[in-house]
Amino acid sequence: MSEKFDVVVIGAGPGGYVAAIRAAQLGLKTACIEKYKGKDDKLALGGTCLNVGCIPSKALLDSSWKYHEAKDSFNVHGITTGEVSMDVSAMIGRKDQIVKNLTGGVGGLLKANGVTVYQGHGKLLSGKQVEITKEDGSTEVLAAENVILASGSRPVEIPPAPVDQNIIVDSTGALEFQAVPKRLGVIGAGVIGLELGSVWSRLGAEVTVIEALDKFLPAADEQLSKEALKIYTKQGLKVLLGARVTASEVNGEEVTVKFTDAKGDQEITFDKLIVAVGRRPVTTDLLAADSGVTLDERGYVYVDDHCATSVPGVYAIGDVVRGLMLAHKASEEGVVVAERIAGHKAQMNYDLIPSVIYTHPEAAWVGKNEQQLKTEGVDVKVGVFPFAASGRAMAANDTAGFVKVIACAKSDRVLGVHVIGPSAAELVQQGAIAMEFGTSAEDLGMMVFAHPTMSEAMKEAALAVNGQAIHVANRKKR
Amino acid sequence: EQLLNPAARKLAEESGLNPAELKGTGKGGRVTKEDVLNAIEAKKSA
Repeated sequence: MSEKFDVVVIGAGPGGYVAAIRAAQLGLKTACIEKYKGKDDKLALGGTCLNVGCIPSKALLDSSWKYHEAKDSFNVHGITTGEVSMDVSAMIGRKDQIVKNLTGGVGGLLKANGVTVYQGHGKLLSGKQVEITKEDGSTEVLAAENVILASGSRPVEIPPAPVDQNIIVDSTGALEFQAVPKRLGVIGAGVIGLELGSVWSRLGAEVTVIEALDKFLPAADEQLSKEALKIYTKQGLKVLLGARVTASEVNGEEVTVKFTDAKGDQEITFDKLIVAVGRRPVTTDLLAADSGVTLDERGYVYVDDHCATSVPGVYAIGDVVRGLMLAHKASEEGVVVAERIAGHKAQMNYDLIPSVIYTHPEAAWVGKNEQQLKTEGVDVKVGVFPFAASGRAMAANDTAGFVKVIACAKSDRVLGVHVIGPSAAELVQQGAIAMEFGTSAEDLGMMVFAHPTMSEAMKEAALAVNGQAIHVANRKKR
Repeated sequence: EQLLNPAARKLAEESGLNPAELKGTGKGGRVTKEDVLNAIEAKKSA
């Protein structure tokens, strides 16, 4: 007789573990299945985000930024040091410890909430039965009233540059270099490529980012992506746009990448090459042939607006379904699904999911960008405030970038907030909160912001929307 | 009591609208500036 659960979650990433915790909080008997093993060869919860994604990359971004500051800008403050050096294995070790603490923490949270964790590979059979294949090959079948598929995603591999996790690596391998590569190539100028490129560039690597698209950060506001490219280039990232990789050849400890761009066929030799062209959904052995769950044409599990699949009682969330591949998107879908299973009418606002690139300066945005609104024929007003005019930013010696607020010309309602600069993610979140409450640019401008803070740049940008900024000359009315 | 966003409160007072009579479309019935602008339009055409 198989054990019966109200909810069985396949996957313990930010979507799955959050869904399991929320379901358990709502009184549902919940199980969560995960197979991923960490560096110590033991079950590691938390998924891509905690183990080989968000958290480790931020750990390395913060360490490498501190090194960069100590080396290049402490003198601005009158601080002199001896030679500043980076022990790469110590930096990686610190990252590993953070990952271990957090993944252990997830285990503790699941336990505290009464979620039963199964180690193994979960597969959906027909009739809402879930088969767990354990490491020793034995199987166990759970019966479930509801199933949540949260199997996540994996890096896209490209035939011209097959990953060997030595010379040619994916994002996971790029978090494990034991020394700074002298010449580093990155294929893909997306969020992952830019963050990983930044880490190793700050530590002294000569970084070239090869991007097939002609446009840099096409999902971002054009003004922001232009500024970002300018800043990254100044920091030493060489970004080649419209460059399509055709082949690569590994020779001993180096790799030569061949690509074609506007100038014709070219090649560059690197010591390490990171392939970061995107991620794709993982559904490998997830669904029995008669499970009844359908995939869409791009390989994602097909779901409706509330993450319900084609099978009643079976849901799918996170990277394995449509939408932005972001941890906070997956988690919120997990919460919404758990609450809907419990009979609540939970809703999620897909229009207000913030995006963040954790370079320095950070880049972040929420809502619509100027070119999208133009395409949609919406008449807008724009307010921009540069951090160069922020007292707080000057004190921090961190003045690159700006805050941009876009509002509807007619109603003054804020439609998008785009920030590149210090604490961009936090500022954008302030914008998202205000937008959730239907803010106008005037509302934001009328609020009292503490002085001196980076947040004031948000108030000033909101004031600038209606030509009322105090600390920057306002654009003349057209 | 009616919840008004700050710009909505200011605009309502400027246009002589009674905040208590405004209908809010924002989260939790909150009155946005857009709601007041619409109420002003409606008053004009009434």
